[in-house]
Amino acid sequence: MTLQHVSRRSFLAGLGITGGGLVVGLTLPGCSSEAPPSFPTADFSPDAFLQITPQNEFVFICARDEMGQGVSSGLATLFGEELDVDPARFEVNFPGVHSAYGNPAFSGIQSTGGSAAMRGHYLPARQAGANVRSLILEAAARDLNVEKSKFSTVDGNVVVGGERYPYASFIATAQTLPIPEQSPMKTPGEFRYIGQDVPRIDAAEKSTGEAVYGIDFDIPGMKYALMKRSPVFGGSVQSFVKDEIERMPGVIDVVQISNGVAVVAETFWQAKKATDQLQIEWDTPALAKFDTSDLRADYQQALDEESGSTTDEEGDLTLAFRNVDTQIEVDFWTPYLAHAPLEPMNAVVKVENGEAEVWTSIQGPPFAQASVARALNIDKAKVRVNNAYLGGGFGRRLIATHVAEAAEIAAATGHIIKLIWTREDDIQNGVFRPASLMRMKASVDNDGIINGWTAKRVGGNILPDRMVGALPVVAPDFVPDGVLNSVVGLADTTLSNWMVDGSSVEGLAGDYDFPNRVTEHVTVNHGLPLGYWRSVGHSYTAFAKESAINVLAEAASIDPVELRLKNTRSNARQHNVINVAAERMKAMDAEKVGSLGFASHGSFHSYVAQVADVSVHGADIVVNKVLCVVDCGRPINPDVIRAQMEGAIMFGLTAALHGDLDIAGGGIVQSNFHDYPLLRMNEHPEVEVIIIDSEEDPTGVGEVGLPPIAPAVANAIFAETGQRLTSLPLRFS
Amino acid sequence: MITFELNGQTVMTEDPPDTPLLWVVRDTFKLKGSKFGCGAGLCGACTMHMDGQSVRSCVVPVGNVAGKAVTTIEGLSDNGSLHPVQAAWIANSVPQCGYCQSGQIMTAAALLERNPNPSPGEVEDTMAGNLCRCGCYPRIKAAVLAAVDATNAVEEAS
Repeated sequence: MTLQHVSRRSFLAGLGITGGGLVVGLTLPGCSSEAPPSFPTADFSPDAFLQITPQNEFVFICARDEMGQGVSSGLATLFGEELDVDPARFEVNFPGVHSAYGNPAFSGIQSTGGSAAMRGHYLPARQAGANVRSLILEAAARDLNVEKSKFSTVDGNVVVGGERYPYASFIATAQTLPIPEQSPMKTPGEFRYIGQDVPRIDAAEKSTGEAVYGIDFDIPGMKYALMKRSPVFGGSVQSFVKDEIERMPGVIDVVQISNGVAVVAETFWQAKKATDQLQIEWDTPALAKFDTSDLRADYQQALDEESGSTTDEEGDLTLAFRNVDTQIEVDFWTPYLAHAPLEPMNAVVKVENGEAEVWTSIQGPPFAQASVARALNIDKAKVRVNNAYLGGGFGRRLIATHVAEAAEIAAATGHIIKLIWTREDDIQNGVFRPASLMRMKASVDNDGIINGWTAKRVGGNILPDRMVGALPVVAPDFVPDGVLNSVVGLADTTLSNWMVDGSSVEGLAGDYDFPNRVTEHVTVNHGLPLGYWRSVGHSYTAFAKESAINVLAEAASIDPVELRLKNTRSNARQHNVINVAAERMKAMDAEKVGSLGFASHGSFHSYVAQVADVSVHGADIVVNKVLCVVDCGRPINPDVIRAQMEGAIMFGLTAALHGDLDIAGGGIVQSNFHDYPLLRMNEHPEVEVIIIDSEEDPTGVGEVGLPPIAPAVANAIFAETGQRLTSLPLRFS
Repeated sequence: MITFELNGQTVMTEDPPDTPLLWVVRDTFKLKGSKFGCGAGLCGACTMHMDGQSVRSCVVPVGNVAGKAVTTIEGLSDNGSLHPVQAAWIANSVPQCGYCQSGQIMTAAALLERNPNPSPGEVEDTMAGNLCRCGCYPRIKAAVLAAVDATNAVEEAS
């Protein structure tokens, strides 16, 4: 029996090398013009965004990684709109590393995050499509000896004089012509696909089991590896017993690498059984006696006793917090969280003759490339990366530690290695959403104007932690490894103690007019690995900010929605989504099952307001319905936007109702979905999404639906029970 | 040597009998549509049918499969056609990352096989065993109910 799906890459390779089709190279603005990498043997041309086959089929190389957010449908829609090809006809492939695939809205890096794809590619991807269409028309004009202005196009065909010619008819001539630049693009009134519910182009292959994920790569000769890592963060191997493990069935090798000990076997199950038996002596790092109670105590002490760094200051706080004003002060707690994408971390790595090839699923092939290059001490150009569909990303797959592990094991054993993390590995060795303790202090005057707002956050910073992975990506190749290592080391240790990452405090004082405000940050970093988790800082700051707004409204006996409207005069688009949600809330009030709670929060250049209908039965919190109003600029694909709001609300509800990681003895207590539960089908609310019909340029949708849901539910719980819950997950003590 | 039926074909494997069915199907028989999510029967990404019942193949030793008939996502529909559940999945643009969807679809198909007219509550209770980290639950529920309607419409017409 053979694998039933055709490898998409071999399909593409066939086209690129033997198909005789047109490969159109497109360089995005601001990108370098270096030659496409040819190492080790180019089975496709990575500076191409489009291939047209002689059969008039269209292969679209998607510069952004598809982790479920619908970016392949979105970019294909932008490109297809101007090329005048139905995006549903595109065969989509994902590229290896090349600078042509950078995102101008993501520091030019070839990575997928920050809800930046539509924002970064709205014009460049359309321009690229328009230029190819123009090229085809130029070739048609020469081949048919007809003036270019006489042509029109319909779904991949040139139309003239009642005749239709497939684009492919003109590829021989097109290959001899330069690609036009700055070809005219459509006006919005001419859009056929943008703004429509174009069906997801990956829905069929993801409903038949044919879609290929990183974990599905099956490279001939590969062996399976599983690992044991230190049970305490920062621990290292003292000793381990190798012989009896190596005698177990199927076991090929047992090797120590920088992160722990790996068992290599013929099958996953043989590697798993042997790894379970593996006994390792670890040293006792500083964190070995560290528990959640220590974390909470350290944070509380920092909050009470340290002033920290001021990251944002405006106006004059002496004008606020006067005796005539209503004042509140509330502390909020949010825990460490794991991403838990359903596809666990995995990678296949082959090391041969000083070169490496990687097969994985990652939010940015350059991160895999740089990690492997560093692990093996070889040039980045010697590392070739193959990417696939991601079985969930959420920020977790920006980090390539597992790829480096696979490379080390491959180098140590001489085998092609497929490393698979178990779910336990995933939960306990994550790059965690940082825990936070936040103190919100606010005052409102008799006119309902919030005249004082101070926010103070205690916790770790993500950026210094992540520079370990990011610096080698952005550092030019001429920077010697020794220099790079010392800079990375500096980032890892020194910087983390004085630098406040903007994402640590983002959103704490956002959205509102707040004429007099101060944001402070106290960095307390215990050394747990930290990472970007869907909506990053907003995932916790929105909970503190939007809960505090309601506490302030309650204290001043002002309607909380009215308070929001009164204090967002300078933020028209946020003001508008609040207004639209408030109108719809009136109808919800008549239909509600429990009580309604309101929250709004802008992030990633988009604006969101939500209303949650929540019931409380004893200790059980039931979310019946959620209304979500989103302004993300011009909607590219309304159905994908609805799906992202639905999904972000479910992701946020997992955090609001369940998500918690405890630390005991310097390690994570939870290990799998029995004690780190995700929201299940029988808990999900009905979701209604209203998309603002905007003509502004498009902005992010992948993360923006998440931040408001926890405070909307907390505010509804207060309305239902009179109890103000100030910790996540929301629990009655 | 263990013999069982896989998507209508008789197959034999020399994998040790305690090897979970999931890994035999994925790595010995190279059918990659069924996914590894938790290894403990908690998430449902590995769901297959064994003699018509949905099972969590990550915790079913292949030794227990001897003589049984296993259906995976690859064998759910006849060549080239779509199962009504798959058609409803595509029509509702259900998948996001898609990693859990083979398991979701296999659970839904087994439900409709034993109960052609489940209530919305029965759909929720049955599908509660399958996790979706992307949170496609509203669409999964809508798609299962749409598949029920589509199947009933076909039967009424015939």
